[in-house]
Amino acid sequence: MKKDYTVVGKNIRKLDAIEKAMGAATFTTDIKLPGMLYGKVLRSPYPHARIVKIDTSKAEALPGVKAVATYLNTPRVKFNTSATSTFTIPPLQPVEDQYVFDSVVRYVGDEVAAVAATSKKVAEEALELIEVEYELLPTVFDPLAAMKEEAPSLHHCEAGKNVPGEKIHIEMGDIELGFAEADYVFEHTFKLPVQKQAQMETQAAVAQVSVDGKVTVWSTTQTPHPSRRILATIFGLPYSKVRVLNPPYIGGGFGVRIGLSAKAEPIALALAMLAKQPVKVVYDRKEDFIASDTRHSGYVTVKTGVKKDGTFTARKIMGILNSGAYCSWSAETPGVLGAMGLSIYYCPNQMYDGHSVYTNTTPAGAMRGFGNPQGMFAVDSQVDIIAEELGMDPMEIRRKNIMRPGLPWVLPYPCQSSGLEECMDLGAKAIVWDQRGKQNQDSDTIRRGIGMAIGTHVSNAWPFCGDYSNAYVTVQQDGSIQVASGVPDMGTGTITTLSQMAAEVMGIAFGQVGITFADTESTPFEIGSHASRTCYASGTAVVAAAQDARKQVFEYAANMLEVTPGELDIENGIIYSTLTQEKNISLGQVAMEAHLRGQQFIGVGRIIPQNAPPYLAHFAEVEVDTETGKVRVTKMVAAHDVGKAIHPLIVEGQLEGGLAMGIGYALSEEIKYDDRGRQLNNGFHKYMLPTAMDIPELEAIIVEAEDPTGPFGAKGVGETGLVATAAAIANAVYDAIGIRFFEIPLTEERVYRALKERK
Amino acid sequence: MAVYTFTLNGKQTSVEVPSDTTLLETLREALGLTGTKEGCGKGECGACTVIVNGKAANACLIMTSQLAGADIRTIEGLGSDGVLDSLQTAFVETGAVQCGYCTPGMLMSARALLLKKSSPSTEEIRESIAGNLCRCTGYAKIVEAIRKAAVSARERGV
Repeated sequence: MKKDYTVVGKNIRKLDAIEKAMGAATFTTDIKLPGMLYGKVLRSPYPHARIVKIDTSKAEALPGVKAVATYLNTPRVKFNTSATSTFTIPPLQPVEDQYVFDSVVRYVGDEVAAVAATSKKVAEEALELIEVEYELLPTVFDPLAAMKEEAPSLHHCEAGKNVPGEKIHIEMGDIELGFAEADYVFEHTFKLPVQKQAQMETQAAVAQVSVDGKVTVWSTTQTPHPSRRILATIFGLPYSKVRVLNPPYIGGGFGVRIGLSAKAEPIALALAMLAKQPVKVVYDRKEDFIASDTRHSGYVTVKTGVKKDGTFTARKIMGILNSGAYCSWSAETPGVLGAMGLSIYYCPNQMYDGHSVYTNTTPAGAMRGFGNPQGMFAVDSQVDIIAEELGMDPMEIRRKNIMRPGLPWVLPYPCQSSGLEECMDLGAKAIVWDQRGKQNQDSDTIRRGIGMAIGTHVSNAWPFCGDYSNAYVTVQQDGSIQVASGVPDMGTGTITTLSQMAAEVMGIAFGQVGITFADTESTPFEIGSHASRTCYASGTAVVAAAQDARKQVFEYAANMLEVTPGELDIENGIIYSTLTQEKNISLGQVAMEAHLRGQQFIGVGRIIPQNAPPYLAHFAEVEVDTETGKVRVTKMVAAHDVGKAIHPLIVEGQLEGGLAMGIGYALSEEIKYDDRGRQLNNGFHKYMLPTAMDIPELEAIIVEAEDPTGPFGAKGVGETGLVATAAAIANAVYDAIGIRFFEIPLTEERVYRALKERK
Repeated sequence: MAVYTFTLNGKQTSVEVPSDTTLLETLREALGLTGTKEGCGKGECGACTVIVNGKAANACLIMTSQLAGADIRTIEGLGSDGVLDSLQTAFVETGAVQCGYCTPGMLMSARALLLKKSSPSTEEIRESIAGNLCRCTGYAKIVEAIRKAAVSARERGV
């Protein structure tokens, strides 16, 4: 492909921006259909209980109530709300451990029943009229406790007590030999909190059943095609009779709806089937907090063997993650934690063991980073500990050990590109790394520090689960093109980026591209938006489809121009011979001529993506108030090797958003539980998201080490912004006050206590 | 049910709703103006920010019954006849729009700021949107967009 791009690499106006800026963009929560009812959900007040009796008669008798759903009148088909259930690769089996409603509830917020009524208020009133008798069951909230023999079993498990799916084991080299070769061995355990995606639009779905039984579900899902399969399976319908689509916009995702939007879709559909009217289910913010997947909390232990000169000889990581009450992505997340935690550094002898554990808490699932921020907080906190013990600069110990193209690692695809060292150097320069350790006087009560951390991630989900994409590119009779991809755009700029790629390959102006997306009825199967994959994997499919269409066009045009297809090229919609200037014709003329003779150029892209490692180096500058424990990040620099920035402004936006989420993870965000399993942080006034006042100067630096497997060299960028943010901040805090934290978030309380203990 | 009359985006508007209806419900349900979003329903996220009598306000916390005679502006009244206003243009061009769910509220908070102060400092810009949560952008490009819009308005002398 030519290097002089006309569309790729340019900051073209995003396709969705104007509609959104005018308030004209449609989200699921905006949908209103004729005869539409409003669904509300009754949720368990107990963390573990059996429903002994449930009486819905009074609720059903309330005027305006059209349907009440419980485990007694909804399908008894087990499923997993996450898309993993639709592409777990044999011999692994998907974990399907929940029903739309069950007779046992397993966490505070678990679904007991739902009502559809003519208004939200009537539906809420009806919930209070449902009489439920519970028999309380024993509970467990901590994953380590839940693994013990005496703990209650939440589900039948093959791999171990309360262990969903498989235990993950990854190995390379000889770990014992590696530790034997080491001059020093370090081992530390880190504790990670529950973080919430806190996307701005809560989980929502609208379900409609036509008179002949065809189902349409508009929802906030990040993956319409896999979600269709989950719904079709639950309700016993042919996939072709179920349409799932975004309307077309989603108010954020960050992993919380890879698959179903919690249970908004099946609950809306169950109610719509019972009521024979369309039903809208919108979670309120509290429901979204307590009954919708979170990031996994848990424990990560890192053991590293190192030579006196700082060379790593062995690394072992162990991860125990809290799955919560249902599996969701809990079988895959520990694997990504381990694989990414091991792969950022080259180390000849490596091992990982990890798994999740069921507890009576809100289910944990996918959240931006997917295990990687947990692992990298541990790994890169420890690298700083090692560096200090060896008297090395944190930059130098990393430079000595980072993964480089061509070296072996545990992943089943090769590392073919890395701009990591350049990221480190540019980032160090921007933060003024040389200032580290020189910013404080002994008497200062506000102490400043600088810290860094590095990381990598994936560009799609393989090998952790299945991954493939399809796309169509259809040339219209006027020479404009229509792209069809099943991928959503949840704010990540996907439709703009894919359209740019199609325009570039077809040699036409960006404005000539139209795109259909996020609709199972008008697009071929496509996994959807997760795993930093849409630019890389969906993009590869769109490029393949465009190349296919371009080939057909050139063959047709060659006949018209009486030249060979191989000598043709196209620019600005004009197809021309590279050999004779006078031989040229517009794409529109070719398309119209073909049309009049009964032919349309339809390009099909069918791809199974490789994978490629994006790289990042984060640098944080902090101020710690030693009198209050308050940590303030004053500057964050994030240098990222993104392969190729198809749209630099979109890439910067992804990085900045990830950084802010990472700052929250490091400093303030956490859902805690009381001793009765109730979520203490269940709304925005109790869960401390960073606001515009908390965000420091963010400097995103783009490095382009193009990967041969990515479209135009691009790699994943959606998640990298928070992979190493917490570790960089914790390392900066250490530089400021000399206290190493093995647990985040670094709240004022935690830091103040540590300062006081030291005195 | 009762009838309430106020000025909405420059036009006198009457609406008949129950007396316990919030302005947010009135806008979205009774008047079909869905540009104003609901993110929490408790005044904690700012997604439903509108301008009431020149000041930014959370529509989910105001009862429609309190608004007789008020001057209300929503996102639908920010541009005119499909033409973006300077803030909207700056948001679009700067990359301040991602998922778009916080965008209408952000724009209304920013507009309220620029109504009372044409040359706000960066700190004042940050303060003006401190009640508007955004999970996508890290606020960087939003702050930049508001700053750009303020500068361009000053340059045009408006």
